[in-house]
Amino acid sequence: MRDQSAPKDLAGGITVLAIAALYYWATAGIAESTLSDEVGAGGLPRILAITLAGLGLVLTLRAIRAGALVPAGKPEAEPTDDDEPRATLPRALGFLAFGAAYVALVPVIGYLPGVALLIGAVALYEGAPPNWRTVAIAIGGAVLYWAIFVRLLGVRQPTGWFF
Amino acid sequence: MHSLGIAFDLLTGSPIVFYSIVGLIWGIIGGSLPGISASITMALLLPFTYGMAPVQAIVMLACTYIGAEYGGSIPAILIRTPGTNSAAATVIDGYEMKRQGRAGEALGISLWSGVIGSLFGLLMLIMMTEPLSWVALAFKPTSYFALGILGLSVIASMTNGSLLKGLAAAVVGLMISTVGTDPISGVTRFTFGSPELLGGVEPVLIMIGVFAVSELMVQSGSRDLGGVNEQVRVRLPSLDMMNRLKRSQFIGCLLGTFEGLTPGGGGSIAAFLSYNEAKRWSQEPAKFGKGSEEGVAAPETANNTVASTALIPLLSFGIPSSNSTAVLLGGLLIHGLLPGPRLFEQNADVVVGLYLGSFIATLAQIIVGILLLPVCVWLVNRPRAYLAGFILALILSGIFTLNTSFFDLGIALAMGLVGYLMRRAGYPFLPLILGVVLGHMVESSYRRSLLLSGGDHMIFLEDPIAVGLLLASTLFVTLSLFREFRDARQARLKDAHA
Repeated sequence: MRDQSAPKDLAGGITVLAIAALYYWATAGIAESTLSDEVGAGGLPRILAITLAGLGLVLTLRAIRAGALVPAGKPEAEPTDDDEPRATLPRALGFLAFGAAYVALVPVIGYLPGVALLIGAVALYEGAPPNWRTVAIAIGGAVLYWAIFVRLLGVRQPTGWFF
Repeated sequence: MHSLGIAFDLLTGSPIVFYSIVGLIWGIIGGSLPGISASITMALLLPFTYGMAPVQAIVMLACTYIGAEYGGSIPAILIRTPGTNSAAATVIDGYEMKRQGRAGEALGISLWSGVIGSLFGLLMLIMMTEPLSWVALAFKPTSYFALGILGLSVIASMTNGSLLKGLAAAVVGLMISTVGTDPISGVTRFTFGSPELLGGVEPVLIMIGVFAVSELMVQSGSRDLGGVNEQVRVRLPSLDMMNRLKRSQFIGCLLGTFEGLTPGGGGSIAAFLSYNEAKRWSQEPAKFGKGSEEGVAAPETANNTVASTALIPLLSFGIPSSNSTAVLLGGLLIHGLLPGPRLFEQNADVVVGLYLGSFIATLAQIIVGILLLPVCVWLVNRPRAYLAGFILALILSGIFTLNTSFFDLGIALAMGLVGYLMRRAGYPFLPLILGVVLGHMVESSYRRSLLLSGGDHMIFLEDPIAVGLLLASTLFVTLSLFREFRDARQARLKDAHA
């Protein structure tokens, strides 16, 4: 019988193996130094890579043993684990994209418009109605943050071409 | 007497009261927002503590932790949704009291019990931390290496889910800590030509990404939880009620102390254990689940006790036992403060300030808690869509203040994705964070030990403290593996019978 979490565990195990392999490959780029000790700058990283590879291998084999490669007979019930993210991967990536867009845009448009756009765009993405209230909240929020960080606390925030 | 002198100097010559109250207010507000746990509330504050004096920063973070534990009970009682994980047990009777029109009474009991728990926890913290920290004076590099391994293995084995997943997360954390300049030879590692990575990846970026950004990603698209439509006022318990709550509060204090000292214990376990024990020892056990005052008092006392006692292993040995104390350790390291006996000798003002600030915050909690309730209710009623935008903007603004670096923003967002994927695959966070935080200690102690022995690993077996700690690590891992095998076997047998 197939364990419901087995495919997820298999993906996790393979990812762990891939991280270990990539990290081990990257240790080849560590230069040797004449100041180096017995272990060397690359010593511990190599031990960590091998340890992680071992853990990844066991996790992968365990997932296979739990039936990860067995085709599912019938549609499985939705997971009920409390820790299971409620948002799907595309939905979560969409959310993250707003943060990435802010990082890309804020050096051009500046802090105040950047934060207003960020708050407004995220609010719309999360289901706020596209009306003047949302626009007002986004602009008000940006002014509030600008007043707190830049004016009150005097901490530096990104400056753009205009602001 | 020396400590009293420092305390007097801090009270009169520094704005410690201000920072305690600000931390407390921030904690109550953050804790009252469902989904924003105590550790996230603290992580959001972390970037703003960079420019502060160490004592102010640590006091503010510790008081945030205290405030968040009370704040978490507000939505637990009002909308049946715990603001923090450790307030989950409060939902059972707290919400039932609200349904009976006794929300103000439940909030008053939560507040009063929180104060009792915090005061007891603080007393334990003051009494136990310094004597324990002197044990660390006997530590050699081999012992510190073994201590780091013990911390990682205990946390990996105590976290929910698979031990192997916890260990893998810890190793990945250690890997992240190796990025940057090698502490012994000065050679650069895994920087890929990027000057921003020469100093390594700051733990604060990992914490904010994994805790806060990933939480926002997880909650993306969630519906609003429903609001509070009535006027609520905190009603502190009468003297008669205080007397009736004593037994459950005592249970909460004891279990909170025990769980605070246990790595991986934390407020949630303490709260549920206290709830069960309070029910067992109550004169009215049948009332539990139907709006029992003791059912609110026991978990709230316990989780507030943990907020102080969890600092004992952190300050004594530098081993955080929960997410919140891991963030506090991040705060200590940011200011160049290393936990252990030297902290008490060289930075006594920070330790005394921490005690004093926690004491001030605990006492102020009653007044601040009452005054802040309307603000918290207002926030609980705000649409989640707007809150998400405001929190993401706060995270990105806060991170930028660290080094005015866009690269830092990228790392925090990337770690948010890592945190989200870890949740999807069922990997725990805390071992990863601990790996990053303890990585430097583990590597430098390991290599210093081998420098002393000329590369002979037998040096770890010549230090009795290291041997004891490594044996304890082995024991924790073995017991955890045994438990996992047993559970898997029982599940298979159950499937076969079904």
